[in-house]
Amino acid sequence: MRKIILPSLCLVLATCSPKLPSSYGTSDSTPTVFPDYKDITIPCNIAPMNFVIEEQADAYITVLESGTARAVVKGKTVRIPKPKWNKLISDPEITVQVYVRKDRQWTAYAPFSMTVSDDIDPYISYRIIPVAVESYEKLSLRQRNLTNFKEKVFLSNTMIQNNVQGTCINCHYYKNWETDNMMFHVRHYKGGTVLVLDGQLHKVNMKTDSTISAGVYPSWHPTHDYIALSNNKTHQSVHAASHDKLEVMDEENDIILYDTRNNTVSVIENDSCEMECFPGWSADGRTLYYVSAHYDAPFGPDRKNKIFLDREMLHFNLYSKSFDPDTRVWGKSRLIYDAAAVDSSMTWPRTSPDGRWMVCCNSTHGIFPLDQIASDFVIFDLKDNSYRYADEINSQYAESYHCWSSNGKWLMFSTRREDGVHTRLYFSHIDESGHFSKPFTLPQRDPDFNREFLNAFNIPEFMKEPVHITARQFASFISATQATQSKYESKRGE
Amino acid sequence: MAKARWILPVALWGVLTFFSYEFLLKVEERSLFLYDALWLKDFLIKPSGILSFLSLFLTQFLHIPWLGALIWTILLTLSAELTRIIFRIPVTLSALTFIPASIFVAYNMSMGYTVYLTNLPGYFYMPLLGYLWALLTVTVLRKERKAAVLLILFLTWGFAGYYIAGFYSLAGTVATCIYISVSGDYSRTGKILPIAVTAVSLLLAPVAFAGTTTYNISNGWIIGMPEQDYGLTFTRMQLPLMLAMVCLAIAPVIKFRNVLSGKGITMAIQSAAIAVVIAVPSLFWFRDDNFKAELGMIRATELMDWDKVTDIYSKLQNRHEKDPSWQPTRVHVLLKDLALIKTGQEGERAYGFENGCKKQKTRCDVPMAFQIGKILHLNYGIPGICNRWCDEEAVLFGCNYLTYKYYAMIAILLNDNTLTEEYLDKLEKTLFYRKWAREQRKIYRDRDLLAQTAPYDMIIPLMCYDDIITSDLNGCEYFLINHFNGPMPANSTPLYDRVALYFALDSKQSALFWPRFNIYLNSNKPSRIARFYQEAAYLFCNIENDPRLETLPFNEKTRNLYKSFMQSASRIGMKSLKDARNAIPANLRHSYYFYFYYVNELEMF
Repeated sequence: MRKIILPSLCLVLATCSPKLPSSYGTSDSTPTVFPDYKDITIPCNIAPMNFVIEEQADAYITVLESGTARAVVKGKTVRIPKPKWNKLISDPEITVQVYVRKDRQWTAYAPFSMTVSDDIDPYISYRIIPVAVESYEKLSLRQRNLTNFKEKVFLSNTMIQNNVQGTCINCHYYKNWETDNMMFHVRHYKGGTVLVLDGQLHKVNMKTDSTISAGVYPSWHPTHDYIALSNNKTHQSVHAASHDKLEVMDEENDIILYDTRNNTVSVIENDSCEMECFPGWSADGRTLYYVSAHYDAPFGPDRKNKIFLDREMLHFNLYSKSFDPDTRVWGKSRLIYDAAAVDSSMTWPRTSPDGRWMVCCNSTHGIFPLDQIASDFVIFDLKDNSYRYADEINSQYAESYHCWSSNGKWLMFSTRREDGVHTRLYFSHIDESGHFSKPFTLPQRDPDFNREFLNAFNIPEFMKEPVHITARQFASFISATQATQSKYESKRGE
Repeated sequence: MAKARWILPVALWGVLTFFSYEFLLKVEERSLFLYDALWLKDFLIKPSGILSFLSLFLTQFLHIPWLGALIWTILLTLSAELTRIIFRIPVTLSALTFIPASIFVAYNMSMGYTVYLTNLPGYFYMPLLGYLWALLTVTVLRKERKAAVLLILFLTWGFAGYYIAGFYSLAGTVATCIYISVSGDYSRTGKILPIAVTAVSLLLAPVAFAGTTTYNISNGWIIGMPEQDYGLTFTRMQLPLMLAMVCLAIAPVIKFRNVLSGKGITMAIQSAAIAVVIAVPSLFWFRDDNFKAELGMIRATELMDWDKVTDIYSKLQNRHEKDPSWQPTRVHVLLKDLALIKTGQEGERAYGFENGCKKQKTRCDVPMAFQIGKILHLNYGIPGICNRWCDEEAVLFGCNYLTYKYYAMIAILLNDNTLTEEYLDKLEKTLFYRKWAREQRKIYRDRDLLAQTAPYDMIIPLMCYDDIITSDLNGCEYFLINHFNGPMPANSTPLYDRVALYFALDSKQSALFWPRFNIYLNSNKPSRIARFYQEAAYLFCNIENDPRLETLPFNEKTRNLYKSFMQSASRIGMKSLKDARNAIPANLRHSYYFYFYYVNELEMF
């Protein structure tokens, strides 16, 4: 029996294992591949970087080689086996050589490389959202293991809403990349802000009589039990004929501080002539960065329409404000970047964990970079307050939400660079001089995923660990629990 | 008698093919089947997803209505035949076996405007396939007699069947329990075990899958049935399907052999069953001339068969000529106007038709935007708003062939090549829309060729305005009126000028009319001024004592018609539209004068 099985197995293996062409011509150019993974820097613990060869040919063979490992993959779609990939990324550089056969003639393209670098947090989470204006029937918060392709829904609004009342879920956030302390908002049906505090679930209503809305965009204090959040009254408008499809504007903005232990809300900034938004803590938690636009139109029913008409005059400057986390005393606001002076608008300030860098979105106007083609990243060196456009990661389309890995070596961001409409996740490595490597998209088992999946990735966040609470636990809790009303307390000192 | 039972399916096929093909096409257009692994994956992750997938596969054939109707009819007949064979119903009572099928026919064909709101992928075929699955369940599960094997079989089928067919599988298992309970072929244990296991699977199957899926647990037991949304009630969406399944549960209880003991009783039951099978679909079948005409007009608009659009409108109007209460719906009016504009006939023919705002025959509110929002906004050169409605529809009811088509056309118009490729790729993965996708691929990169190719040739010239944003998000007609009655674009095209003039005419505002009339004359340089533009100009000159009354080249017919109309109007005085329609003769009614004075009560959307 063994005499039959072994040779058969060898024969099968021999047939399956692709043979490299013995003779071939060469091409000076590298092949076009999708996603574009050519000459990129990747983490040493990332999932296989599968790709499709975008060259017309009759046959394809791809050889991936590092110092000690080698993988040969046949076919237009290059799916790299995980065990072989793990060996490949244990070396500092992977060379990829693509051979194609056209008209019985093999050609070897010029090789391209992937540089293997620092590790990355093993998990990320994001919201999957269909592209729409008003409808939000199918939203899900998902977590993805970056070291493989496993993705899991940790909450979907379909688990909460019923046929009459809809539920929106948004703005998930973690304290120090750990999931034992995390939050997200639930809007409308069964609404409230869901907080996980040391693994325990809570649901609160942060809207008080003294604030304009419940909490919206959060930033969790790195050392203390505070979350800075914006308050927003948001409206949307549709473009009649433009590559920008949507215009999102806030009628009012303020910033609040939420004390997670005492369930209290206090105002950080609420100047009636200023629209303050996007709070972001510094790495040490002693400074709060935020953006604000000066706008002094009267409050009332016409303000909403007026703000859309005035949208191109609405420029958000970048500010900082000192904070003593022990006494909760705030310092005065300080202008960091006068965006209005150069007719631009700065949003989403987020500092690196080492406190050295801060990346913001910069656009022509307004507050919602996601829907503005012109939105690009700007990086600030907080050591000397210099800044520059991060052109090495910017594209012709909108760059928007971004976050730093816990080791500060990677920036993950959402971008519409692939088609202008569907937001995708990209990663880039930052070196010591603040220079980003060529960004690459989230690897998928099926490398055509980004072209097939016509929903958007939204609010990407790194995590050191998965969310431990299951989707059903979240859903049951949200459905069964009434939100506890937060108490308002006045701001301390300035 | 045995052969006579085939008459029903044949008749159904005929009616569907010849009288309901527009509806079948609408059902198909609003579904999607992609030959694509990633798309399939979406169906595999939730209970009843496989049934949904198979239903969508079959729905695509409605693209050729006679073929789709044939497949559906064959499957309906098959369901009846299998019911007869499984429950050993004699041929002489075969009409009984058609009762579930008649419920499915009634269910689908009573849909009417609900077709725009149903959010379950594959809903057209799902009840029928679900019923077939339930029949299979009965067939497989009832065969086994050994208690231990029964236990395993029921347990496996209870959960696996639920994954495949959701509610229908649960219903099938319950029907099998009833079958086993009333059958004398099973031991006592053999009867109790299935009931116990079914009770467990009924309770636990939805819970067991809850961990891996994202539905609301309270919907777990009815998964596979359309949801109640947009005012669609339990009675409309779920009760009929439950009734069909009740038939399955009742069938084993009836002792058909006993029934057959008397020939008279057999005849009576068979006759009653035939009556039910015919009556149920007939009673519930959605029959509405306006709806049928709307579907025809929408279809013709999509095919850019503009003459057919106005032709359907004319025929509809003629059919109701003797009914003074008849009015067109806004869908009719807006599509008729669009067709006239596309053919350059609006100035000559627009007010030659009856106007109105007949309330659509629907119990729940079906927003105009879901009916013709995309088609109007795209054809009037406002791709952003069209895109918005594609987005909303895709989220609410799932992407369908039409949304992808519109997405592709929007991307083409806005010169978004990557996006265009993505959407055309999707359509390339369909059976019946790939040809269209390939045709678009040939033209979209060549902007000159595109500008000469329909429908783009009549859309691009309307996109000459500077981009605007609007938060007026819900009223299709209001949006169009505001758009074209707004400031004229600096680089307006002759086509835009003509459309803007028509909208000014429609708004009855002379302050809008005159500047647009002048612009139109300058840019379009018509050899003669169209009838209704003349009538409007003549009317406004008269009202405002405008000296142009003497200088503009009004023809004699315009002057005479005005005179006759004013005489007639002064005789009857100001009346409601309905009364004015009765009082004023057709030749005067079909004038701008009549529109100006009497068409004032139109509800717009």
